[in-house]
Amino acid sequence: MSEPLIQCRSLTRTYTRGTETITPLERLDLDVMPGEFLALMGPSGSGKTTLLNLIAGIDRPTSGTLHIGGIDVGGLSRSRLADWRSRAVGYIFQLYNLVPVLTAYENVELPLLLHRMSGADRHSRVAAALDLVGITDRADHYPRQLSGGQEQRVAIARAIVADPAILVADEPTGDLDKASAAAIMELLGRLSREAGKTLIMVSHDPACAAHAGRILHLDKGRLVEHAAATVGAAGVTT
Amino acid sequence: MQTLPFTYSARNLGRSRLRLLLSVMGSAMVVLLVLAAGGFVRGMTTGLERTGDEANVMIVGIGSEESIERSEIPASVASLLDASVPGLRTAFGTTFVSPEVQVQLPVVAGAGSPEGRLVLVRGVTPTALLVHSQCQIAQGHWPRSGHNEILVGQLAHTKLGVSAAALAVGSTVNIDGRDWIVSGRLAAPRSVIDAEIWMPLADLKEATRRLTDSCVIATLGTGPGAAEFADVAAFARQRLDLEITAMTESSYYARLAGFFAPVRAVVWITAGLIGLGGVFGGLNTMYAAFASRVRELGMLQCLGFRRSAIVLSMLQESCLATASGALLASAAAVFFLDGVAVQFSMGAFGLLIDAPALLVGLGAGLLLGLLGTIAPAYRCLKLPISESLKSI
Ligand SMILES: Nc1ncnc2c1ncn2[C@@H]1O[C@H](COP(=O)(O)OP(=O)(O)O)[C@@H](O)[C@H]1O
Ligand SMILES: [Mg+2]
Repeated sequence: MSEPLIQCRSLTRTYTRGTETITPLERLDLDVMPGEFLALMGPSGSGKTTLLNLIAGIDRPTSGTLHIGGIDVGGLSRSRLADWRSRAVGYIFQLYNLVPVLTAYENVELPLLLHRMSGADRHSRVAAALDLVGITDRADHYPRQLSGGQEQRVAIARAIVADPAILVADEPTGDLDKASAAAIMELLGRLSREAGKTLIMVSHDPACAAHAGRILHLDKGRLVEHAAATVGAAGVTT
Repeated sequence: MQTLPFTYSARNLGRSRLRLLLSVMGSAMVVLLVLAAGGFVRGMTTGLERTGDEANVMIVGIGSEESIERSEIPASVASLLDASVPGLRTAFGTTFVSPEVQVQLPVVAGAGSPEGRLVLVRGVTPTALLVHSQCQIAQGHWPRSGHNEILVGQLAHTKLGVSAAALAVGSTVNIDGRDWIVSGRLAAPRSVIDAEIWMPLADLKEATRRLTDSCVIATLGTGPGAAEFADVAAFARQRLDLEITAMTESSYYARLAGFFAPVRAVVWITAGLIGLGGVFGGLNTMYAAFASRVRELGMLQCLGFRRSAIVLSMLQESCLATASGALLASAAAVFFLDGVAVQFSMGAFGLLIDAPALLVGLGAGLLLGLLGTIAPAYRCLKLPISESLKSI
């Protein structure tokens, strides 16, 4: 049995607004093994995005610890955290967040500009990522010339191009029709199985969550056991 | 620091045509204004500087060093100087010694104001053209004494507020109640003499009923045996009876230029204030532009780009727009502002859009981009990344 890649211990995030304190995440314990595909479900406002942002290193815990690959992510300085993110995590957004003035190719190339490498090396990596998501023929297109499903493919290519161990996805199919959503889920499943990525995905859709190896339910900032959900964990249904 | 590609900044400009137009045109207006102010100041300063010649010495009455128009010296000073100080410049047996009367007189010409405007009238002898080497007769002939003839400078019409045609050769000009005929046009580019009226010394003395000169201007010789300023100064000191003093012509005009320093300061301050208005206008456009991109800025930080890299990219973007405006303004200034005549109490001068003025203009354009970006960039980047990503 290997070590967990992600270790949350008593992870808490609170916001104070005036005298009011909101606790979207409360004393959460969670281990995620390398290569695991984890789906987070739960009602709106239950703290799913908050947890995802903590794991992605764009937010910091108020208390508790978060270790990822042995690194105390919560203790990194702002700039170290940015460097860590650029190497360790790929973020996939519900609304893709592609830069409209850059082509698909240039969007995918963006994360690589943060790393020292030759132009040829960069080119081959971008080409490989575009190929993996099946969008090579649209490399010169601008986001407005792509469908939602294609945009999300480009965004996934951008998330994997620097070869991070962890991918986080916040409702990646939330803005897509059923067919495109299924195709995106198939792609994410492939990334988990074939590329060995550790994947944490927030989704409302049980059909999407079913692609995951494990499903967790959040409610009011706490994990709740859901026997029914864990049963079909490994199954891939469409 | 890993920077964002320049193409990102450049293409971001194309996101809103209207904003691009606003920032380019806004910057062009502000820079044009700064160039006008710069051209004014440069024109005025070089006008005064170029009038004064390093090699020229002026002799004026003691106590009148500040204003030649108040100075009165005996008419004999010119010949005494010629006889007493060897080593002044000569050509064709003539020493470069020019006795002059300088007086501001009301002049009426063409359709100008009937009361007339004060113009500097210089009574001169033909040696004036030797001493003032920057002056030439561009048209017509030297005024003959006793024929009521005058030379008018090329910018004199600006000073008088009339068209150039009103002072054409052959036209009549009324000076202090008496009519004179323009016999020629005097050209002294970029010098305040360009706005003066010259007439024979004897005629001006007769017309103003004075016996004294205002000053004597002499050019120092060159080479061995040449007179120095000290020699002329010594002559002035020794002739206590004449009550005269010597100074270099350039120091006189430098002092005049200093006298107008407050005017220049006011011009700069006005341009600065209007420029500041431009900055505040720019702040709004920039803020609107960046605010609509907050989610994208959050995504870039999420990828690992530093806020400094993002600010740099924003600066590139806005400076690209304002610099384009500045270039447009510079071209417009060179074509439409350079040489435009402005009148002031000393005479008139042309706006001078030269390299220093253009440099100031371009600097103003970049400063506009810089100031207009910092505050909006700060507002858009101070949000935590997780909140930026929620922005719509
Ligand atoms: N920056 C913030 N300030 C205050 N409250 C916040 C902030 N971000 C999230 N919250 C609150 O935390 C709770 C959980 O939010 P979130 O993790 O986004 O939920 P979801 O499960 O829908 O993704 C919500 O009640 C939300 O209002
Ligand atoms: Mg959410």
